[in-house]
Amino acid sequence: MNDLIKQLQELEQRIGYLIHIKDSDKWGNLMEFRAKAERLRGSVFDISRDEFADRLGRLEDSIRFLEERCEEGLTPMERVRIVRSPLRFTLKDILENVYEEHKELGGAGEANIDPAMVVAKANIVRRIKRKPYTSSVMVIGQEVGKGEEFRNGGSCKPWGNEKAMRYMKVAETEGIPIHFYVFTPGSYPVEDYPGAAQQIARNLYTMTKLRVPMISVISEGGSGGAEAVGLSDLRLMFSHGYYSVISPEGAAAIEGRVKEGRKVPPELVEKCARQLNITATDNLRLGTIDRIIQEPPLGAKSDDFAFFARIRSEIIRATDEVVLRTKSMRSFRSYEVKRKKAESPDEAPQIDIPWELDEGETDKLLELRSKKYRNMSMHSFGGITMPAENFFKFFCSATEKFWYTFRYDVLKTQQKQVQKTIKELSGEGTALVNRITAPFTRIFSKQEENGSRPVPRSLAAAADPHSAGDYCLIQDPLELTDTYTSPLANEDRTITCPNAEKQGCKDLWIPDLYGEFCGVCENCGHHFPLEYQWYLKNVFDPGSIRIFNNDIFSKNPLNYEGFDERLQAARSKTGMGCANLTFMARVRDIELVVTMLFSDFRNGTVGSAEGEKFVRACDIARRKKRPLLAYIHTTGGIRIQEGTLGVTQMPKCTMAVREYIDAGGLYIVVYDNNSYAGPVASFLGCSPYQFAIRSSRIGFAGPRVIRETTGIDIPPDYHDVRNALKRGHIQGITDRREFRRHLYQVMQTMGSPGLYYR
Amino acid sequence: MSRFPVMPPSDQAALRLPGIPAFPSEQQPIARGFFVQGKVLIANRGEIAIRIMEACKALELDYAVVYTDADRDSEHVRRNRLKGPEQNAWRVTSYTDPNDLLSVADHSGCTAVHPGYGFFSEDWRFARRATVRDRPLIFIGPSWEVIRDLGDKINTKRIAQKLGIPTIPGTSAPIYNEMEAEEIAQHILDIQREQNEPNPAVLVKAAAGGGGMGIEEVNRIEQFRRTYRRVQNYAKRQFGDGGVLIEQRLCDFNHIEVQLVCSRHDERIHFGTRNCTIQSTGRQKRVEAAPGFHASCFQYNFDPEQVLDSIVEHSLKLADYVKYDNVGTWEWIVSRSGRPYLLEVNTRIQVENDVSARISYLNGKHPNLLQEQIRLGLGERMDYEQNDVVFKGASIELRIVAENPARDFAPWIGTITRFDLPQYEWAAVYSHVPADRPYPIPSEYDPNLALALVWGDDVQQTKERARQFIDGCRIDGVDSSGGSILTNLDYLRRNIDRLLTF
Repeated sequence: MNDLIKQLQELEQRIGYLIHIKDSDKWGNLMEFRAKAERLRGSVFDISRDEFADRLGRLEDSIRFLEERCEEGLTPMERVRIVRSPLRFTLKDILENVYEEHKELGGAGEANIDPAMVVAKANIVRRIKRKPYTSSVMVIGQEVGKGEEFRNGGSCKPWGNEKAMRYMKVAETEGIPIHFYVFTPGSYPVEDYPGAAQQIARNLYTMTKLRVPMISVISEGGSGGAEAVGLSDLRLMFSHGYYSVISPEGAAAIEGRVKEGRKVPPELVEKCARQLNITATDNLRLGTIDRIIQEPPLGAKSDDFAFFARIRSEIIRATDEVVLRTKSMRSFRSYEVKRKKAESPDEAPQIDIPWELDEGETDKLLELRSKKYRNMSMHSFGGITMPAENFFKFFCSATEKFWYTFRYDVLKTQQKQVQKTIKELSGEGTALVNRITAPFTRIFSKQEENGSRPVPRSLAAAADPHSAGDYCLIQDPLELTDTYTSPLANEDRTITCPNAEKQGCKDLWIPDLYGEFCGVCENCGHHFPLEYQWYLKNVFDPGSIRIFNNDIFSKNPLNYEGFDERLQAARSKTGMGCANLTFMARVRDIELVVTMLFSDFRNGTVGSAEGEKFVRACDIARRKKRPLLAYIHTTGGIRIQEGTLGVTQMPKCTMAVREYIDAGGLYIVVYDNNSYAGPVASFLGCSPYQFAIRSSRIGFAGPRVIRETTGIDIPPDYHDVRNALKRGHIQGITDRREFRRHLYQVMQTMGSPGLYYR
Repeated sequence: MSRFPVMPPSDQAALRLPGIPAFPSEQQPIARGFFVQGKVLIANRGEIAIRIMEACKALELDYAVVYTDADRDSEHVRRNRLKGPEQNAWRVTSYTDPNDLLSVADHSGCTAVHPGYGFFSEDWRFARRATVRDRPLIFIGPSWEVIRDLGDKINTKRIAQKLGIPTIPGTSAPIYNEMEAEEIAQHILDIQREQNEPNPAVLVKAAAGGGGMGIEEVNRIEQFRRTYRRVQNYAKRQFGDGGVLIEQRLCDFNHIEVQLVCSRHDERIHFGTRNCTIQSTGRQKRVEAAPGFHASCFQYNFDPEQVLDSIVEHSLKLADYVKYDNVGTWEWIVSRSGRPYLLEVNTRIQVENDVSARISYLNGKHPNLLQEQIRLGLGERMDYEQNDVVFKGASIELRIVAENPARDFAPWIGTITRFDLPQYEWAAVYSHVPADRPYPIPSEYDPNLALALVWGDDVQQTKERARQFIDGCRIDGVDSSGGSILTNLDYLRRNIDRLLTF
């Protein structure tokens, strides 16, 4: 009887699970089934065992039927609820059941710098002809915790991500593969050092060129938090997981313009979940993941041991594949891996493939990783050229590359060598000649001394006091004289400085403020926002701007409802195809490449087109050995309407940045106005030279998101650049009026000798 | 591009070498041939507000005054109507709040604004705003372009050098480079040695500073770098710009001014020179005299006539070059050896304008420079030439201030209970202090009480009359602790002997 009661309890749990997934007990008469189960339990002692078993069996049949129906018609939002169910497996379950033994690093349980991020050194074992082969791996991932408050639901603090990065480097040193498991609703959006955004950026930057095979598996992939441990050589995803740019509720709150504290209508959440393309199949179709690990119907739970066996074989196979790709001799083994997969997906390949890579293989690994990310989201923006044209462009860039390598690598190095030799020779010569002529010169100079004291050279004749004062009529070339006046200035009105009460600033007359004050309060230095065109005219040499890749434009790759119209509106408003303007420009004698995110186009959000233009700008800057300036007029983050295609811009662009910097480039980031979320947490935040214009704001999430996710009410100046500087996120604050001078100084003093003008 | 003429954003000084304004002045009045009409907003306080009022009355011009709460007892308010349909005095929060002033101008139907001296008188931004706004006003003063170009000392120096006008040897643009700075300092010291200057020295100044802040002296080149760095750091901290100016330090000099009067029709004449050497420790002028030098006062090492003539000539040359178009003062310093250096240009009417007027005669009468300023500012022609101005005799201005000259000219605050100044046919008094009732000195503003002008046939007689005037002054007052008033009358009397000497 006891086993039957146990069965009944299980059944009740299944009913509860269904109700949880459906978020309602109305569907499929679940309410009644639950009542039935309750009645059955109440009548345990009243009816016979057979009767009980019979009723239980019927009830179970009905529930199984319902489960099947539910699995067939799982909506994206239902998948989200599966993932959020407390019954779902967590990283701890994987560590216990997939790996042979594991040792948690960087703390344990609650005594941990961040219990939400678990790092463990683990052994994974495969049996080949009954012989066990053990391989050591680093397992990194978020732990949601089963009702444990301190796990924070898998939402990692910045220092948790920092811990992950540290152990990635350990794995690199030890040469062992890394298995990432992504179980996070998103990163904990606080700016305390190392800073949510900045740390994710650093993680991404590290992962782009980490010299070991990396596999990531996504169960719950919440945007930036997921990327912090998500960049890898092969990305897998559990079939019932989700991977999204933003939580469906968050998207719905933005879409529906829901006020804080109000409830978001569930239909809207459902609709957003659908439109964001967050399921495993969606992501596979979009190319943001490589493969799906099938879960049992309605998702795996903590006790699905068969499923853990499957994870083991999948992760071993994935690692094998990644390793094999790097080997020059691999055909038969690859075939074996593929065959095994086709025959029995739950078993690992029966061959021993060593996971250590030698130097050449590692290079191959990195090259493949680079290619993988370079080719992501290539079909989700407009303006891809015809094959013939492509070939022409390829030809051009190849010739260019050859020329610049020849000019600046070969010739310049030669020239430097020769110069150095000549310098040393002449130095030697001078020393020798001096030694020989010393006695004679001494006599000569003695005679000189008898004459008058030498007159200070170079300056105007002292006799004429009228001209004596005039020493420096040469104009400073860093002062731009050609004026551009903001159209904002055309108004006879005054405006009050926001610091007027604190600092006693006088009201500013608009033509003054947006004219020669450059939008800066004279008294306190507060910067009022200016349109991006001002910078085009006042930072770079007049007439030096050459826009390129202007034919790339944003599309609506997910067919997000109503987004085509909004894109069209942005296009006609700005006359631009996307929010990223890339161009070449010059500051005095230095040519540079600029990529500029501007606010007029969808608030400077980054989608596939923006990412692609950014990557191409990096490529050009690398080829021409020019400095790269990312001027961020404003960015609102990743464009949510592009779903995970937008999210992949984070690793994609970071990869390009890393390769540019590694090639000896100088990557300068300058933030202005508002810069938040994804871009800051990736290709901007990873720059070693980040600066900000005064009065701008930098951060990961806005005040509302912070309040809603953490319950913390942040002070109004939380994201101010001064605080960003204090926290060590940026390297300096510059005045808008000094931007040009500052930029020139940075280009002259920073960066490697690999730049063309060095 | 902009509806409002705007100057380059980067640097006011660096860019506009020639004085030709980029935009034509917008103050061209209606072509009726008779411009003295409309209504003038008097955007100032104290005695100058009264003098402007009187000038307007003499020209039969309507006017409105503004006042702050602290000034409600001042004569410039009491003489006007504070309410009713005829109201012409309006309360504002501050004399330097352009929004308030312009609202009063609009509300009361003013067509021109007279800034007086101080406050907005040399603020080219205010001048421009007043003249280019949606409801434009005539700014009674030079065009804003001229105020801007000459308001910048460095720029003025540069233009002067271009015209061959002597300026204090030194840099004409901020220096940012230490080595360059040292070389210049060395050179300036060398020049002084060649000129047999007993104590050669250079001044290191913060380019963005003013009013004596951030200035240090260097006598030996060895000390230079250290001082330079100190000033540079100070400038960076204080003004956000590390630019530094280096110039020769001058000591033992006289401060001479040239009064120019110009019209919007390319007419420029001068009303002689005056000597403003006697100043308080805070470099506030206390006694002024005209003419600038006189052989009867001191045995100069130079020919005073010739030096004054050259100063006037240079001043007119610069005014011509920048197309100066209203009253203005060219400030010079003259060393003991008679070497003149142009210091700066004050693009406004000055407190001491009447000193020059009292040695000048137009058709046998003293001109009133405020009336001239308003008349020409509104667009009138001058109607006379340099030859019509006859210079005769001497004059002295005494600035009577409630202050303690013994204690660094600390202002005295309290209530004036008696204010009797003598009246002579050879003297004039300008004051906003009422003589018929007690008057509390507002603590927000300088405790200036009155300006007294005396004139005579020669310098000696004028000095004698000045002493006589001071002796006739009866000023009583009481402060909050019961102490009696402190004035600078004794100080003024003591310093009359020093006039026009080295």
